Formats: sequence, C-alpha cells, structure tokens
Amino acid sequence: MKAKFSAYLNEIAPGLKEMIAELGKSYDYVSVLSTDSVGFNVRVSQRVKSINGSTLTTERGNVVRVYKDGLYSEYSFNRFDPDRAKDMAAEVKNVLDAQLSVLAATGSKVYDTPKLDDEKQELFVEMETGMLPEETDLSALVDKLQRFSDEGVAMSDEVIDCNCVAQSTHICKMFLTTNKDLRQSYVYSEGTVLTIGARDGKSDQSYSGISDRLGPEIFDGLGEAVKKGNRELNDILGADHVIPGEYEIITSPEVSGLIAHEAFGHGVEMDMFVKKRALGAEYIGKRVGSDMVTMHEGAKCVRDVTSYAFDDEGTPAGDVIEIDKGILKTGVCDALAALRLGTKPTGNGKRENFEHKVYTRMTNTMFDPGTSTKEEMIASVKKGYLLEGMDSGMEDPKHWGIQCIVSRGYEIIDGKLTGKVISPVIMTGYVPDLLGSISMASTDYESYGNGACGKGHKEWVKTVDGGPYLKAVAKLG
Amino acid sequence: MTDRIIELLKRSGADAWEVKDKNVKAWEFYFIRHQLDQNRVRDVEHIEVTVYRKLEDGKFLGSATQEIAPTASDEEAGKIIADLYNRAAYVKNPYYELNKKPVKGGGESFDPAQMARDFIEVMQQIPETSGEDINSYEIFAESCTRRYVNSEGIDVTVSYPSSTVEVVVNARNEDHEIELYRMYTSGTCDKENLVKEISKTLSFGKDRLAAVPTPALEKATVLFTTADSVELFKWFAMKMHAAFKYRGLSDWEKGKAICDDVKGDTFTIKAVKELPNSSYNAPVDSQGAEIRDMYILKNNVPENFWGDVQFSYYLGVQDSFIASNFAAEGGEVSESELRNGNYLEPVEFSDFSVDPITGDIVGEIRLAYWHEGDKVTPVRGGSVSGTLAELIKNVRLSRELSQYDNTLVPSAIRIEGVTVTGA
Repeated sequence: MKAKFSAYLNEIAPGLKEMIAELGKSYDYVSVLSTDSVGFNVRVSQRVKSINGSTLTTERGNVVRVYKDGLYSEYSFNRFDPDRAKDMAAEVKNVLDAQLSVLAATGSKVYDTPKLDDEKQELFVEMETGMLPEETDLSALVDKLQRFSDEGVAMSDEVIDCNCVAQSTHICKMFLTTNKDLRQSYVYSEGTVLTIGARDGKSDQSYSGISDRLGPEIFDGLGEAVKKGNRELNDILGADHVIPGEYEIITSPEVSGLIAHEAFGHGVEMDMFVKKRALGAEYIGKRVGSDMVTMHEGAKCVRDVTSYAFDDEGTPAGDVIEIDKGILKTGVCDALAALRLGTKPTGNGKRENFEHKVYTRMTNTMFDPGTSTKEEMIASVKKGYLLEGMDSGMEDPKHWGIQCIVSRGYEIIDGKLTGKVISPVIMTGYVPDLLGSISMASTDYESYGNGACGKGHKEWVKTVDGGPYLKAVAKLG
Repeated sequence: MTDRIIELLKRSGADAWEVKDKNVKAWEFYFIRHQLDQNRVRDVEHIEVTVYRKLEDGKFLGSATQEIAPTASDEEAGKIIADLYNRAAYVKNPYYELNKKPVKGGGESFDPAQMARDFIEVMQQIPETSGEDINSYEIFAESCTRRYVNSEGIDVTVSYPSSTVEVVVNARNEDHEIELYRMYTSGTCDKENLVKEISKTLSFGKDRLAAVPTPALEKATVLFTTADSVELFKWFAMKMHAAFKYRGLSDWEKGKAICDDVKGDTFTIKAVKELPNSSYNAPVDSQGAEIRDMYILKNNVPENFWGDVQFSYYLGVQDSFIASNFAAEGGEVSESELRNGNYLEPVEFSDFSVDPITGDIVGEIRLAYWHEGDKVTPVRGGSVSGTLAELIKNVRLSRELSQYDNTLVPSAIRIEGVTVTGA
C-alpha cells in the first residue's frame, strides 16, 4: 500500500503559499517546511508497559526561512491559522526585525551568503509500506511484544527482564517556495530488544534491533532479536576486561557502520568545512584508507529509516561516493553550506524537527562489501578480536581521532575463536591509520537504523550505517 | 486549546487524566567566528495528554499518551482522546495513583531577547589572541511556561528561563590547529562565569597544541576537575531512581551501604529545589509533585528513592518527585591537598560516559595533564576506563564545590586505580 500524504498539510498548503507570497514582498527568498508525522512507541517488559504516540520524529509544525541582504533567518511555529496567513507573515517579519535590531545594537556582522535558487519543481511521493502506524492494531502488537518478552525471560534464569520496544512513524513533509511544491510521505519502523540480566552480582544488558523503511509489519522479526539478545547477554555477563593494546580486529557490519559514521561520516559534513572544523577539506583527492575502503553516503544508498525522497531544504535525495578505493573524493552538503563553498547540495540538509536549524547530516553511511567470507577473515587473524555490538561513538573531524565503544570482543588466536569474551571494548585511534589498516572485507552488506546521531551533544536525528565485516588493526582498551 | 482539551477529557469517561502544556519562546543566534550565520525564533506550544483507565476492578491501571497539536479541532482532539482511552486498555500496569496534593506554581517570565543579547555581548568580550580564538558559537535563550493539570484537582503553572551556548574554540601554532568543544547550560546568562570558563578553555587549547601522547600508565590516580564529574554523580542518582529500582536495574537498598571496604571519602547527594541560576529551577515537577530538598544518598547509604509517580508508588515511596537539581557534599580536604604525587587530570574527552547499569566509565583523552610532583605535562590520546562500583571504594573529594547548571559537585574528585591506556 502507499503511505498516504497528510490531509492536514494539504489543507494548510494554500494558507502557507499565501504567507510565502506576503513575506516575498519583504524578502528575496522564502521557503516553508511543514511537517505532520504521526506514530507510536509501544514498550512491553515483564514489569511495565506503555503506549505513547510520540517517537523521535513525530511532529506537527512549520518553519519559515527568509533571506535578505546576505542573511538567512528562520521562524518556527506550530499555531498556524490558514485564514490568517497575512497576519502570520507580519508576525514573522516583526520578530525577525526585532532580532536584527539586537544584532545592530551589538554591532554584529553578517556572514554574507548568496541567495538560494528557486527553480520550478513539483514532486509528490507516497512510498510503499505494508501497514500504517496510525491504522495498526496496538492491542495485537502489545500481545505480540508480551510473547517475545515472555520468551526472553524464559530462556535463562539470569535474565531479569526483557524489554521489547516497537516504534513506527509515518513521516509527512511538505516543502514550499514561490516556485517549489514538494510533498513526501513514507513510513519507517524500528524494533529493539533490551535484555537485562545479572550474574554473580554483576548486572548488564544486551541490545538487539531491527529497522526498515517499512511499516509495523517488520515487528515479527523481533523474535529473532530476542534470541540474539539472550546469547549476547550471556556473553557479556561472562566477559573479562581487555588487556589494553593494539590488536588485529574483525568488525561486524554493525561495528563497521559505527566506524564509517564516526570516522568519515561526520568528518565530511561540509558545514564543518565552512567553519574550518574538518580536516577532510584538506584531504580531498588524497589517500585516507586502504584500497579496500569505498564508502557511500546518501538517502538513496540503501532502503532504511532515513531513505527519504528529499531533505529538509527541498534537495532531492542523493548517493555520494565519499571514499573511492581509499581516496577521499567529496563530502556531503546542505544547501547553505553548498552556497558558501561554491558546490552543489547533496540532499543531506536535515533538522532534528521543525523547531531546529538545518545542519549537514548523515543519512545512510555504508562501506562497500568485499570478496572474503567472515570465516576466511577469522582464519587470517593471529591474535585479535571479533568486535560485535555498538554502544556509542564520538566524532572528531578536526583531528581525526576516533572513539567507538563496542559491546563485545570475541578472542581469536591462531585463526580460531577461543570462546573468551571481553566487554566493553573502547576502540580508539587515528582515522587514516585505522582505515589504512583495513586489509579484508566480507561479501556481507547490512544496514542498521536503530540509533540516533547528535551533532556535538545536541541535534538528534535518525541515521543509518553499516557495511560488511572488515579486518583492520586498532587500539583496544 | 488546553482548556478545550480538559473539557473533552472530563466528558471522555476516562478514570483519570493529565495534561502537560509547555510554551516556549526562544531566540537563537548562530555565529561563525563573530559573523552571524543565521538568526532564528521559536514560538511553539506542545500539549501532551495522558488518559488513564482502571482495569479488572481497579487492580490494574492502563494509560496511553499522545501530543495533541494546538491547532487541532475539537473533533480531532476528541478522536485522539477516544483512541487513547481504547489504547489504555492494552497497557495493563499495576495500579498507582496520580499526584493529588495541592501545590503552588511560580516563577516569572523572562525576555528571551534580553537573554540572547546578554550572550552576544559576553561572547564579544572573550579575550582572544592570534593563537587562541573562538571558531563558532550558538546561542539559545528560552522563556518557558509549563502548565500541569490532572483529574485529581491539580492545576499548576511554572515559568522559568533556560539557555545554552555551544562554543568551539581553536588554538594554533605554526604546525597545526586544534579545537575544543564546550556546551554551557544555565537559567539566564551568567556573564562572569561564562567568560571565566571560556577563557579557561582557550588556555586548554594552547596546552593541547603542546601535548604529547599519553603514556600507558596501566593503573593510575585520576583527578576529575571539569564538568565530566557530573557524569560520575549521575550514576549515583540513577541508581536511586525509582524506575531503575523497580525495573531491576539497581540493586541498591535503603539503609544498606552501597559498598564495603571504603578507604577514602563516602558520597552524600541531595535532590534540591533550587541551585543558583539552574535551568531546572521550578517548585513543581512535570507530574504536579512539589519539589523539595531531600537526601538521596548519605555517606554511601541510600536514603530516598526519587522519580515519577508510577514507580514511586510501586516502591511505596511517599511524597516523591522527579528531582531536577542535585547537590553533592564535598570531602574534608581542599583541592590543593588532593593535588599531590603522580596523577592524571583529564580536562577534555572525546566523550566521557558512565554506563548507568554497570557503572563502566569510558573516555578517549583529548587533553589531560600528567602531574609528576611539580612537573606537569599536557598529554593527548589514549583512554581512561574502569568500573565505578569498584573505584568508589577509594575516592577523595575536595572540600570546594563547583556548579554545572543543575548539579553541584566537588571541584576535584580523586580516584585511585583507574585504567589508563596510552596513546
């Protein structure tokens, strides 16, 4: 079925266009992004349940962007009356003028930026989904999650609880200017299983998830996630700490994705080039990894939770080859950063929601697969670890340091898994060294869309990353 | 709109309900160097409704929550409330009661324009040099009003300011340039403190340029003297959170010391109603409970669990509330007395995190000072790690305290036996 576009947005579109026309009398460029995204978040554990109509991306509101004298200004609001469009335009202008007064009083100068193009464009996209979150039988879903949770705790006496979470969001966004009318509607869903356990006074939890740009029909797959979570919890509870040092590593597709995201995902967000905060700007055309490293970024790379038709500035989705056989080719760019750098936007201008500013952000960041099998890669390791499970990571585009917190490391000695597990694992290093050490890649190709990504310590958006198993060398602590 | 929603709720057949209505007026300014990248205004209202339904003769209480847009028609709002009533039947939780004690709101509205202007002027006053300067900064100044209404008779409104400034600073020499990142949150603009903190960060930048790789110290004494200390104290606070306890994520018990064989200082932490210029100062929490001063942990012994009404009820905790400001007590010695012997003082991590369940601490070092008696060497790279449950047996806390927005902590925390991986 098609994910039907929002009737509410269709209803307010004429009023928004009237507001754009009114503001156009005072500004050289005007756009409005309007959103009406609904969804659910259902949580079931042995001890407590909840149903909430909010997810990270549910929202209803508008943001108007205006341009004059080299400056872009924005106004976010969610009390729009289409019958009072002219009044709203006056309100926007008044408050933005008041801001300009403060800027003048403080002697603040403007970062002069060219005007955005506004070529005529129309787009209406309703993507395929199996179900819609707003039409889902939540009673049946709660029962399903309860069965999964029951199965999770029945698998081991050490399991304290098994939390099953199902989230689904129907995204509807409309981007309007004088000449553009873009509307898109799609559904994405993500399910997670958090299994909590204790052994010998030590508590810990495992985390397993599924995601796709599809509807709540994907939640049948959580049964496998429950089994996986149980195995991983057992591994963590029996784990030791790593002896700090440099090791050969094989990263699972999930951990490979974390490296892609932290190493060169953030590092080539080109709004950071504008601020001179990214070393990547100086390395375009230069080697940053081994021949085994090819990396794509874009909403069109794979189908997962961030595979939209256009970004929050109305730029069509893209698929950029950032690294080609170890050579850094280009970055990704939002529309304003592109104007400032004299390049083209790549469809990576994203907002946390209508209340937030656009930044250059990742969508799907993926390493290309190789030709080896996971088994061949393990057999090639003299002494090292197979790293699985992502906890967190932190970018460092200015210096290319990398910090990845990985859930588990499985010891490999003389090409064989020994059964010994370490947890947690801090993987640190210098990005070109890490990517330069990649010597094998598997034929696997998996994406993961359960996480959220911040810029600095805020601006949380959905992102996806992944790739194959990779063999490299890294410092573990 | 909120009053219309309340009328719809009264007629909905719900056994109980609550409405949270938050209005925010915010001014934002984004600067690259000192040039304005963009200016923004936010004027938004969020109305969240929860409908409760007694199940199986009141043995269970179901609930469902959703936001209703301020532009929703009565028909649309009525349909959402009816859906929530149906959904609540699927959420069979043990019975609990909403807050019902009368409470008094308060606060005053703040002018985001003035707050934002104060921040701009402060940022223009930061003493920069050709070697250390400001790369970019983002200013967020909010005036917030929060109204909470429930079916048990509570209707209370609080107003408060909240502001954040994110700052990136650079330092450079002939060979290369480095950056440091900071995010400061407070009520309104604390000019004096902000100038002091950013100036200190600029000096860290200078030291980072001269930093050498962190030596592999294996087990070392580590002195925490920055906002990262807050992460350490959050672990204690979360272990005493009612939901954490009820869900089996905390095995701490009231009256039973959290660890044995303590060789250093013990921890005492209070939830407090107010801290100077905290962005969390409000007399009432988001569920209509009065916020007051209360010991959470006293000399390593859990005193009171805290948290939302559902889990507090399950634990039998009376008059609990969602704590928002925390104050730790210091130790008996001064910070200068803690600075002795060999120790590592990290002042900049990529990201310093403490796992709320395991207490595992992790951080990749971007800048630290390796103190060997009087010799101080700036170092970079490598990481610190360990498990708080073990490490807290041998900790010394300074007598002096430092406040980071809603948390007051000892200005120096000295921990023995932390794993330090070299760069």
